[in-house]
Amino acid sequence: MPPKSILKKTPAATSTQTHPAVAANPPPPARPVNQRHLSTAVQHARIYEQRKQVETAILDAVFELIDFPTSPDADPARPSPSDAHRFRQAIVPFQPSDYDGLIEERNIAAKCGYTLCPRPKGKAPSTAKKHFVETSKGVQIVDRKKLEMWCSDDCARRALFVKVQLNEEPAWLRQGDYGTEIDLMVENAEDHHKALPLRLKKAAAPAPEDAEADAAAAWAARDDALADLAMERGETPGRLSKANKDLITDKIKERVARFQPTPPSLPPGQSHMAIEGHVPKSARHAEPKDSDDEDDEQDWDKALPG
Amino acid sequence: MADSGDHKARQEMLDLWRVYRTTKEMCRDRGYNVLPEECNISFDDFARKFGTDSGQIARGQMNFSTIPSEDMVRKYTPPATPKVLNPEPAIGTLWVEFNADENIGMKNLREFITHLQNGSYYSGIMIVVKPLSGMAMRGIRGAQQLSGGSGPKGGIEVFLEQDLKINITKHELVPTHLLLSTEEKAQLLKRYRLKETQLPRIQVTDPVAKYYGLRRGQVVKIIRKSETAGRYASYRWAI
Ligand SMILES: [Zn+2]
Repeated sequence: MPPKSILKKTPAATSTQTHPAVAANPPPPARPVNQRHLSTAVQHARIYEQRKQVETAILDAVFELIDFPTSPDADPARPSPSDAHRFRQAIVPFQPSDYDGLIEERNIAAKCGYTLCPRPKGKAPSTAKKHFVETSKGVQIVDRKKLEMWCSDDCARRALFVKVQLNEEPAWLRQGDYGTEIDLMVENAEDHHKALPLRLKKAAAPAPEDAEADAAAAWAARDDALADLAMERGETPGRLSKANKDLITDKIKERVARFQPTPPSLPPGQSHMAIEGHVPKSARHAEPKDSDDEDDEQDWDKALPG
Repeated sequence: MADSGDHKARQEMLDLWRVYRTTKEMCRDRGYNVLPEECNISFDDFARKFGTDSGQIARGQMNFSTIPSEDMVRKYTPPATPKVLNPEPAIGTLWVEFNADENIGMKNLREFITHLQNGSYYSGIMIVVKPLSGMAMRGIRGAQQLSGGSGPKGGIEVFLEQDLKINITKHELVPTHLLLSTEEKAQLLKRYRLKETQLPRIQVTDPVAKYYGLRRGQVVKIIRKSETAGRYASYRWAI
């Protein structure tokens, strides 16, 4: 049965006519464009556009990083400078949840969750959904999925080291530059120094070989401390300096006291029953000594300091 | 134990038979060319066609493609304008795939997209056992932009087998939904002097909207049977 036109054109058809479930009001007359509304709309469109771009960039990055590292015999502790560089660059727009998505995708591809590890993911003792695992806090029940996320505890550590540095804020809402640099836990920091202009953090700081590495370690330690401080203050780690720059001024003005401070006291004629200076009649009965409220205003004035 | 294994396989075969019939009905109700015997396939025929010798279901055999009917093409063709005299219909051949994989991630999704591209399919439907990974779902939302903008024009839809075991539109309380063509929609708005934003809405994620594959901006006519008013129609704008 071919669908008939939904619109009856003759008024004669009224009795069988279908009724739309909406009021048939004419649309409101067009109003002049409000400039402020217009700029708000433009702003929203821009955010939407940025959001779409970021979303595409994240999906493409995840897709690329599923197949990392580029060499099958790569060592997650000593990644190749090019892989490390690409990894750090690609995850800058990530939020922690995006990073979890990357780990999940790698696990679906049967790979260890840590991007720079070429080994297969871990294997639980059985295919049961939940497992008993002995931890420092005693025996705990763990999802098989979680148990198989990493090939080793070492990879779990390296992967989480990255995750805690990711910006919680969506990249399209981040102010100024896109985001902070992401550090990796590596043992071959020197290789990365030669290849990159960027600093890399050492895992368990082995004796620095030269002054440059020494300085790098010092800077890393400072940044760590700043990040901890930021976390403690509830700020976004890595954005500490930016956030505080505007808040702190270097000129401190001392205020000088002009008179002896006096402890506050209840002005005469004033009682705890007063509501904004007025004592209701019922309350006055209760306190017979407050007979002349005519003086109230004056007394109150006198009590003002200075 | 062999008995319980057989029983399990038979139950799965039964479930998939229902899923298959609902899928075919869904394609038919959207306006694709589907033969009545495809929607009404008997269980025995189904088991013969898609079962292995050992009685297991071979989901890969169930995949199919279908082309839109003339009427569907007409509905999906935007009206001609002075600039575009012969507008392209916003519909085309559909590829439907039954995926047995329990873990479907971005990689599987990209493979699916590649298949759609290679076969020049306009859109694709993936029917899966378990929900896709979060990243894959995000990929589907922006499927057209994926792979450098060469994704399927009509996008990708995903259904869980579980949700197709029964055809929700066959429920007596679900009224008939009829998609309006772009032209019919324009006439409706003109006649009642409405803007589309003034119409009541239906979300594209609504199960019935999903069944009909409604896209944002389309308008459906919903026809209810009413004891007091006979047939009662309302219109909804898909968002
Ligand atoms: Zn690993």
